[in-house]
Amino acid sequence: MPPPSSSDKSKTHKLALKGSSKTVVEFFDYACNTILFMRGVYPPEDFTTVKKYGLNMMTSCDDQVKAYIKKIMSQLSRWMQKAKISKLVIVVTSKETGEHVERWQFDVNVFQESSKQTRPPLSSENENSAPSQAPTDTTKTEEETQREIQALFRQVTGSVTMLPMLDGNCTFNVLVYADADSEVPLEWGDSDAKEIKNAENVKLRSFSTNSHRIDTVVSYRLAD
Amino acid sequence: MATLSVATPLKCRDSIFSTRFAGGRAPLTPSPKTPRYVQAIPQDAGVQTESIHHSNANLMARFSRSVSKTNVRDSPKSNIAARPSPRRTDLGISDFALTGTGPRPSSATSAKNTPSRPRVGRAGSVHRTPKRTQSKVNYTAADRFIPNRTASEAISTSGAAAKLDGEQTPGRRPKSSASSDGSAFDIGRHSSSNDATSTFSFEGLSLSDRNEDDDEDAPKTKTSPNTMAYQQSIAEACGVSIKQRILAFKPAAPESSRPIDLRSQYNRPLKPAAASASQFRRRVLTAPERVLDAPGLVDDYYLNLLDWSSGNQVAIGLERNVYVWSAESGTVSSLLECPADTYISSVKWSGDGAYVAAGLGTGEVQIWDVEDGTKLRSMYGHDTRVSVMGWNKHILSTGARSGLVYNHDVRIANHKVAELVSHTSEVCGLEWRADGAQLATGGNDNLVSIWDARQLNAPKFQKTNHKAAIKALAWCPWQSNLLATGGGSHDRNIHFWNTTSGARVNSIDTGSQVTSLRWSLAYKELVSSSGFPDNSLSIWSYPTLVKNIEIPAHESRVLHSALSPCGQMLATAAADESLKFWKVFEKKAGTANLAGVSGSASTKGLTKATTIR
Repeated sequence: MPPPSSSDKSKTHKLALKGSSKTVVEFFDYACNTILFMRGVYPPEDFTTVKKYGLNMMTSCDDQVKAYIKKIMSQLSRWMQKAKISKLVIVVTSKETGEHVERWQFDVNVFQESSKQTRPPLSSENENSAPSQAPTDTTKTEEETQREIQALFRQVTGSVTMLPMLDGNCTFNVLVYADADSEVPLEWGDSDAKEIKNAENVKLRSFSTNSHRIDTVVSYRLAD
Repeated sequence: MATLSVATPLKCRDSIFSTRFAGGRAPLTPSPKTPRYVQAIPQDAGVQTESIHHSNANLMARFSRSVSKTNVRDSPKSNIAARPSPRRTDLGISDFALTGTGPRPSSATSAKNTPSRPRVGRAGSVHRTPKRTQSKVNYTAADRFIPNRTASEAISTSGAAAKLDGEQTPGRRPKSSASSDGSAFDIGRHSSSNDATSTFSFEGLSLSDRNEDDDEDAPKTKTSPNTMAYQQSIAEACGVSIKQRILAFKPAAPESSRPIDLRSQYNRPLKPAAASASQFRRRVLTAPERVLDAPGLVDDYYLNLLDWSSGNQVAIGLERNVYVWSAESGTVSSLLECPADTYISSVKWSGDGAYVAAGLGTGEVQIWDVEDGTKLRSMYGHDTRVSVMGWNKHILSTGARSGLVYNHDVRIANHKVAELVSHTSEVCGLEWRADGAQLATGGNDNLVSIWDARQLNAPKFQKTNHKAAIKALAWCPWQSNLLATGGGSHDRNIHFWNTTSGARVNSIDTGSQVTSLRWSLAYKELVSSSGFPDNSLSIWSYPTLVKNIEIPAHESRVLHSALSPCGQMLATAAADESLKFWKVFEKKAGTANLAGVSGSASTKGLTKATTIR
């Protein structure tokens, strides 16, 4: 990589990060809704179908829930754009016992290198462009990402069959693993990890954009 | 590990840790970190193994040590250095492997280094065969390796082929065979780290390498709280926690509006039906089956000009005429025409469907034989218009504007057999119970009177709950003491009465004038017709009182309704001078009525109904 283009790089990187963040946050939004629907945190009547990722996604139409999720997501996108986040966790908690019964963890990995590699063809001189064969490998089209997300959602939906029955009387929390130096709004406070005791972990599919890779793990309580 | 546990619980534990370290270390961490392990290990393993520690604290060495112990265990004689055990012959073979020459294809995980292979292979072999001769072999191998640092490192790296965290059996470990432990080190360690949830959560954010380190640290801290390693780990842990925070969105998630049964959710239909529709599974035709003109229909709420006979004929009074429409043939005939100075104020079929009683504005009541088209008799007595009538076998009850109700025995010349005095204003609703034991009347005085047929000098109950005239009265076909009554414009309520106790058991606010009520014979439902403002038909479930459907029926208020003898069809006559037929209670094939249509058929129907229920 030619050093002179570094400023360009950082700029494009930022742009890429922004676009990618948007994709990722949008994914989180749908994932959150899907989990709330699928795991019966809210009654199914509260959800409507929306076409997304080539699937019928369920999104809440309850105003309170929508506002709640929106608040989380807007903050999330702020953090994501600064690459301050390494995990998003949705914890399903039993209302009766206060026990955490299910934990959906989305690991956020930001690629520094790949984004650099994608840059050269745009900005650099000929000589530089020659070696930059990388971009063809690393760049990901929007469609590919969408396909990966679709596959992930199919898997998430399918995972209902293996997850234990919830009694339906559950609530949920959203955790974020953020860098210590990130700005934290008032609504957000330090928390423990809300891990599940005696949990079974199942890794689900991943998807990636040009700047992020999201890995998904669901952990759930083993039957006693 | 079983062997270890046998020795002493403490030992076993230590050994586990050490082994874990070795295993976990190996795969995850690059060579530079090995020294750390070494430090940690001596503490852990120190109790068990004496000499080995002194030697270059090589993981391999220790590892082999622990293994050897296990082997030793197999043969009770050998404690630490089990070499001289009788099984040694096997050692030779194993040595071979250890030296690195022996390729062990079985170990898929360690691709790079031969030394690592033997180890893996060992583990695998142990798993396979109950006899652990090989383990001894490992000893020898381990011993050889001890001096060779690189080898150990290689091993560690080789282990790195990520064993999955998935296998979580920390608790079990002591039970599993020692050799298997060796192989499972990596796994075990991971799982243990997972167990220590706090570490996991803290470290989870960082990359995998770091994670591993942290995990290692955690076990160390457990094993030897006093050591440097412990302090280091704390520092490291602190450092990590400083770098990363777990933030929770503090506001509590909104409460769900109602409890959720996931089972129903998993089975839910793809398209969520509207709440009302989902409860109302029955299909109701909302278009009329047939529309007939009813010119000259008097727009008067208090009259009762429509009736449907058990012989499937519809009689309707239009001004001065009574017409009979045969539902079977569709033909219409004019049955009678009254004098020009009066009008038809009520029409009622006798129970057998052979006769029509027609009330006139003058107070005269005529009885006609429909088949012959001849008047059988006229009955006088009222001096005001007869706005409602009801048959109970040979008894015809007539209610008049004066508020009086007369019972006429139509067979005898002196026909008036009873005078029911209760209402002070026009009687516009009158209905006999199917068994003839009770009579309900409603009037413009907002009063519902319930009479015992044997005791007609005073009403059994008088109900004043309605706030307007009561024209709509209907006895429930499947529960004989249930009466529904509907009030007029200022009331709009349907009340349900237990006519045995006189208690009001239910109410519906319909939102509009109730002009008639009919119970379904096949469903636990009733239909109400309404006047201003809806002009509609509403079907209600009973006793849930859920409105299943509302059919906009007419352009102006629905005045009268009548149910067909089969119970499926409802005829409505409205002020828009039309007569419409609605298939509101369409029967499913093979279902029986809840109760018989008429008194004679009722017993049969009721027995059927009871069997159904």
